[in-house]
Amino acid sequence: MYALNYVKARSLEEAARMLASHPEAKVLAGGMTLVPTLKQRLARPSHLVDILQLAELRGIAAKGGRLSIGAASRHDDVATSVVVKKAIPALAELAGLIGDPQVRNMGTIGGSLANNDPAADYPAAVLGLGATVFTNRREIAADEFFQGLFATALEEGEIITRVVFAVPKRAAYAKFHHPASGYAMAGVFIALTRDGVRVAVTGAGPGVFRWKAAESALSKSLEPSALEGAALDASELNQDIHASRDYRANLVRVMAKRALAKLSGKK
Amino acid sequence: MRVEDPRLVTGAGRFAADWNLPGQLHAHFVRSDRAHAEIVSLETGAARKHPGVRAIFTGADAVRAGYTKPMHTLAFPGKGGMQTRAPERPALAHGKVRFVGEALAMVVADTAAAAQDAAELIEVQYRELAPVIAPEQALASGAPQLHESVPGNLSLEAEAGDAAAVEAAFARAAHVTRLKVEVTRVAPNPMEPRACLVAHEPQDDSYTFHVCMQGVTTLRRQMSVYTGVAEDRMRFVAHDVGGGFGQRTPAYPEYCALMLAAKDTGRPVKWVSTRSEGIACDTHGRANIIDGALALDRDGRFLGMRLDWVNDMGSYLSPASQGHVRNTSTCMTGVYRIPALYASYRVALTNTNPVSAYRGAGRPDVAYAIERLVSRAAAELGIDTAELRRRNFIPPEAFPYKTPTGSTYEYADLPGVLEKALKLADWRGYPKRRARSEKTGKLRGIGIATVIENTGAGQAAKDEVELELDARGHVTVHTVSKSQGHGHETTLAMIVADALGIPRERVAVRQCGEDRQHRLQGNHTGGSRSTVGAGSVCHIAARKLIEHCRGLAALELGVEPSQVDYAKGAFRSRESKRAVKLGELAGTGPVSVVGEGKFGSTFPNGCHIAEVEIDPGTGAAQIASYCAVDDIGTVINHAIVEGQLHGGVVMGAGQIFGEHVVYDLESGQLMTGSFMDYCMPRAGMVRAIRGAEHPTPSKVSPLGVKGVGESGCTGSLPALANAVADALRPLGVAHLDMPLTPAKIWHAVRDARKGGN
Amino acid sequence: MAKVTIKVNGKNQTRNVEDRTLLADFLRDELGLTGTHVGCDTSQCGCCTVHVNGRAVKSCSMLAVQANGAQVLTIEGLAKNGKLHPVQRAFSECHGLQCGFCTPGMIMATVGLLKDKPNPSEDDIIHGLEGNLCRCTGYINIVKAVKMGAKLMRGKGKRR
Repeated sequence: MYALNYVKARSLEEAARMLASHPEAKVLAGGMTLVPTLKQRLARPSHLVDILQLAELRGIAAKGGRLSIGAASRHDDVATSVVVKKAIPALAELAGLIGDPQVRNMGTIGGSLANNDPAADYPAAVLGLGATVFTNRREIAADEFFQGLFATALEEGEIITRVVFAVPKRAAYAKFHHPASGYAMAGVFIALTRDGVRVAVTGAGPGVFRWKAAESALSKSLEPSALEGAALDASELNQDIHASRDYRANLVRVMAKRALAKLSGKK
Repeated sequence: MRVEDPRLVTGAGRFAADWNLPGQLHAHFVRSDRAHAEIVSLETGAARKHPGVRAIFTGADAVRAGYTKPMHTLAFPGKGGMQTRAPERPALAHGKVRFVGEALAMVVADTAAAAQDAAELIEVQYRELAPVIAPEQALASGAPQLHESVPGNLSLEAEAGDAAAVEAAFARAAHVTRLKVEVTRVAPNPMEPRACLVAHEPQDDSYTFHVCMQGVTTLRRQMSVYTGVAEDRMRFVAHDVGGGFGQRTPAYPEYCALMLAAKDTGRPVKWVSTRSEGIACDTHGRANIIDGALALDRDGRFLGMRLDWVNDMGSYLSPASQGHVRNTSTCMTGVYRIPALYASYRVALTNTNPVSAYRGAGRPDVAYAIERLVSRAAAELGIDTAELRRRNFIPPEAFPYKTPTGSTYEYADLPGVLEKALKLADWRGYPKRRARSEKTGKLRGIGIATVIENTGAGQAAKDEVELELDARGHVTVHTVSKSQGHGHETTLAMIVADALGIPRERVAVRQCGEDRQHRLQGNHTGGSRSTVGAGSVCHIAARKLIEHCRGLAALELGVEPSQVDYAKGAFRSRESKRAVKLGELAGTGPVSVVGEGKFGSTFPNGCHIAEVEIDPGTGAAQIASYCAVDDIGTVINHAIVEGQLHGGVVMGAGQIFGEHVVYDLESGQLMTGSFMDYCMPRAGMVRAIRGAEHPTPSKVSPLGVKGVGESGCTGSLPALANAVADALRPLGVAHLDMPLTPAKIWHAVRDARKGGN
Repeated sequence: MAKVTIKVNGKNQTRNVEDRTLLADFLRDELGLTGTHVGCDTSQCGCCTVHVNGRAVKSCSMLAVQANGAQVLTIEGLAKNGKLHPVQRAFSECHGLQCGFCTPGMIMATVGLLKDKPNPSEDDIIHGLEGNLCRCTGYINIVKAVKMGAKLMRGKGKRR
């Protein structure tokens, strides 16, 4: 790790001020991606602005068909929250599949979303549920928030404060683990929302994306066979030493079917 | 509970990186990011000026010191008397780099962070050369050449057995099964990253190393050959060692470079490797391509077998490179009577990290090649795979059995082992289980492997163990073998305590102690040899101690030694019934004896049966059951032996299902450089191993023991691969090379089904 | 440089360290608590697992300054008054360790797991150990040890 300065922000405002005055500063939340990245000297921030402890970023609450999760909520908080389990059990389940127990004890939802790793789990839920990302400046719809490989709508110095989910009728997530890293080789989140079916895919492409063909197929029928005909362009998926595009495309289809089976109460 | 456990479960173990010396400096290596390139220039000026930097060393320093010729062990004549062409390897690369990760400079600074900061300031200019990564391509004409001294990248061509006899056998065969397999390159990855702290003593120009090692004698000799520093000028300190698997045996160039730094700066210099450095630069394992053919007669009896090997050794010969040729010819016949055998070997150099011994050092490779051939032959001929094996076993009455490649197997009850395993695995009930899996849409397969291996006889002239009896009646065992998790402190203490009839708590084991490491001869711990070697000598030494003490006791008791009986730590005069305790004989000072022995190979053998269930939707394979029946001779400590087998089986499973060091074939870049991409086995990979012992005591050792450290993976590689092959055979998939990742299996299933449609 | 005070194994420890110092290095180099091991650089192996404010975390993926003011429990602080923690005992009795390098992290991860799940199923254990690698044991005896540790902690184990 390169030498850097650590600052523990006392308020969101102070954090924003620090980021504004130090263009090379980075926000540190749980650090589960950032610290390993720094250790490999792949980034060289001048400052780390720690926001993990900020009360403004804490808290999980459900009210009026909406579930609000503070950005500094750890994965384990979400996975074990009775509020989340009651409102959107699939989200709690997804959080419990991220990384490993030690990572879930540190990593946060805000950190995961801001990083937008193409194989991270949370983006699938946030996009699949059509959630809204609140920042210290504005609110951003999930459909606008994710912009491909490690790219988001966040501007310089903008900090995620919480994520608000509209509670769906039903939702389910199925994930195929990358055998080495534990990230998603393919993860599919299906949600039956008031506005229709949403299907979000992580791990398979250069960034989380909505599988529109599956959405329209499922809006007609929730039978797994409905997915057979849903088009999926393998040429737009990732290919690496672990998996070909075709294999990833297959995994997307298989995970979608598994999510669907969960959705229908079949295991 | 092992003797080692209390400190290890409380964090009180002491591993290589845990050592610190006053005034120590820290080293960081600059490593090549090219697979093959000339070093045009190396600019160190800015780095030297960086705060905290004390010194920088480059290839020129290594050459000046003469640290250029590592030891190699391919020291036997090859085909037509060919001598091994062993390239030089300066401890820091000089003039040329030959793999990604090769160290070419070393920065020494006050802190590890400062050393790394400065290392980034070193500017290297390269002239890139085309790399060659695949060993078969390296041997082809026109391939890029790694070393002038190794034309055609061919380090050695060797052979074993009788080519003409094999040709004749194939000519009269009713059936020939052919199969080319790759035993992939893997990273041993003991959990403790490599670390070394070197101090130089100007008074006598000697060096002290705190390093993770598998034993002092082999490492010291290799370090001496590499650097020209006499063996008696080197001391090695290691307490706990966090795994080895062969990878902690060799003299690594980094250790030599640290010697330069320690001497030059006059300060101890410490280096702790990262995991990524380790995956790139600690020797790899396996990396063999084997083209095999098995000839059978009308009744399914084996007539002859031919194996043509290409052994990828990476860019330089590691000091433990002989196993892939030697071990694989020693046990080439496997457990079968095969009248004609022939093997050819082409040892290739490639622009990759050097390959060395890894748990089995060729034995799992040859077992894999044979057992895949045999199972495939059974499938081709429609004979039950267990029956084909049974028909061709070396029968118990044929032992000691001289194999066509010139080794002699001591003994094995192969039919007994097989029948026990078949019963344990409920071989007959398999069709029902397969049907049940099919109902849930899964493909099920069963795989069997019957294997035998030679364990390491060792290179030392003999194994020595010193026993030191003190006034409390406690005995200290001094040995130059070294546990890396094997539990020597427990097993060796049990052997001595048992021979002396005293509680184990009164026996302490010291491995490679500084005051004994130059005095005692013996082998390092590797090649499954320590209980056979050091363990047997513990027994011999204990007997010797009793005899020595009987004389002392006789004097004490005033009778002839023949009138003194020994039992449970005390000598008793038959006449007076007076007794003298062991400790009392050491009242005026410790009583010490040195036991010695020289032991040949033992031949542990076994039958492993695995069942896998494959989800055709994802290609993911689950190990549904695993049974292992092993003849490892007399067992000293059942828990430790079972643990060795578990570890070996799962290590093999890791290689079969995921582990693989991958280099990009074009650029030579390492694609699996961290645990994010190198797929280590995790909890749950093998849920349970149903095991049974089938001991036939070895006569090589007075204890009747055989080696066990490596047999787990020798059995599991072929058993698991055969199980997957069995599951996929109905689809028309004949063979898949490891690693059998979900993606690879899925593609095979898809392609087979496409073809079928 | 940062002044960092951490309550480690019940004792306040204050040191001035570079901001970039990892918690693992703080424990090992500054406090000499070398039972916390570092086995990888990508947060996969779990050898460095300690508890920060009661949660199992990887101390190689956290800065020491992040733990300023926190309570940290390391493997050295687990045994009380010379008496092994039930999980330490279980690892030894089940032969759930060989070289012992991964063991401190395994034990700390297990203690964390058993806090949430005092009576874990085999699947719970396997899921709970996803963040820890072992190269020697093949994990079979580790899973056994976790089961036994759970039993001992629930007070159903044999007393010695």
